[in-house]
Amino acid sequence: MALRSAGTVTPQQADNPVARLLPIATTLLATVISIQPAHIPGDAALTPAFTLMAVYHWTIYRPDLLPPLALFLVGITQDLLAGAPPGVTALVLLLARPVVLRQRRHFVNRPFPFVWAGFTVLTGSSILLLWTLHCLLDGVVVDFRGTVFRAVLTISMFPMASFLLGRAQRTLMGAG
Amino acid sequence: MQSGSASAVQAREMIGLSPLRRAAMQRIALPLLVLLSAMMILLGKADQVMFESLRVSVTDTVSPALDVMSRPLAALGRLIDRARDFVAVYQDNRRLAEENDRLLHWQQAALKLASENARLRELLKLTPEPATTFVTTRVIGDPGGAYVRSLMVHAGSENGVERGQAAVTGEGLVGRVSEVGSRAARVLLITDLNSRVPVIVEGAQQRALLTGDNSERPCLRYLDAGAGIKVGDRVVTSGQGGVFPPGLPVGVVASLDGEAPRVEPYVELSRVEYLRIVDYGLAEGLPKPVPIASRSGRRADPLAGTQLGRR
Repeated sequence: MALRSAGTVTPQQADNPVARLLPIATTLLATVISIQPAHIPGDAALTPAFTLMAVYHWTIYRPDLLPPLALFLVGITQDLLAGAPPGVTALVLLLARPVVLRQRRHFVNRPFPFVWAGFTVLTGSSILLLWTLHCLLDGVVVDFRGTVFRAVLTISMFPMASFLLGRAQRTLMGAG
Repeated sequence: MQSGSASAVQAREMIGLSPLRRAAMQRIALPLLVLLSAMMILLGKADQVMFESLRVSVTDTVSPALDVMSRPLAALGRLIDRARDFVAVYQDNRRLAEENDRLLHWQQAALKLASENARLRELLKLTPEPATTFVTTRVIGDPGGAYVRSLMVHAGSENGVERGQAAVTGEGLVGRVSEVGSRAARVLLITDLNSRVPVIVEGAQQRALLTGDNSERPCLRYLDAGAGIKVGDRVVTSGQGGVFPPGLPVGVVASLDGEAPRVEPYVELSRVEYLRIVDYGLAEGLPKPVPIASRSGRRADPLAGTQLGRR
């Protein structure tokens, strides 16, 4: 596939069936972590968008293993679990995919700050879109500070998520 | 490894999906799924009850996993708490000693009032309040978003939880049960955009509606002009509407600026680990919740199912 030739992604022969499930499994795990109660003192009841981190990582490195259908199902699951209007997260994740795919060559095999900068732009626009959708659906202007804070939290926690996902990818898929 | 991928390729060939056709399918799949999501959003908006059973069954299925995963996180949170407590032990001790003195005084007052109250009730032949039963349960999910304020608890209809029951902690009101599965339930917090709680501001004895707006502090609506409420006034449930019994502590008035006074809840809602779901015997009086209608801030009949008030 043309996408594969854009960077030095793990050669397919190194994949085993378990490794091929890694992107979907970690994205689902991120979804479940997003709705875990955080008993951290002083926490402002806001959880970073972990699912977006996993989706971004895998769309850059293995888009073939996180197809649109998986994004749709993950998004719907997150909305249903969070008690949010179903479809909102799915829509945001699905729209993020072509955007990231188009810019993918800027991130694959580049130093981490490039990847992080790309994520910053993606998070900013995704969370803004999410906020707009919620405002439209609820018919009120939802407090914008919470949204900004959540974006900052998500961007600042991305390096850790990226490191963990990269480690898992290298361990199970052999290279990367 | 080699054999694994070989078999995957084989399998793909068997179901007749060449990489080219796969790519083509993915190209169609994306816009189709985007459209489907948009349709789901619109459908969900038009008919809010439609996805409820789906939501309940997903929550039910995932609840055991959530329960297991939330335990180490809760333990970590407790560890951090303990470390903080250790640092603050001297101040805490002094504060608690002072508080204890004050509470002992209040205990005497409460005992006196309790016996007086019992005597007066007997005199008045007051109908006893409905018996209350409760289930204590762990919080297993907290979406913590800026858009929805709810908690998931590990108790459902199997444990006697029903829609409309009150969720409380020792400090005060947390919210009410909005969805019930067999093993898990969702509690709508008093800070959620869709939460409306009829309350009384003590001191001024003013009735109001506590409305959430997804911020940490819900606001008081439908107050009389010049109601004379002050910062620090206690806010308790009024029992109107029949969802909550009268007198449940909710919070204190925290600020009077802005268009409506804001209330600081007694319960630190982002840090609740255990909840009590209480059946005050009022749930039957609850009209079927319709989120859109409740947003207008009124219930169909504010006095439906109202219990004998204490005041």
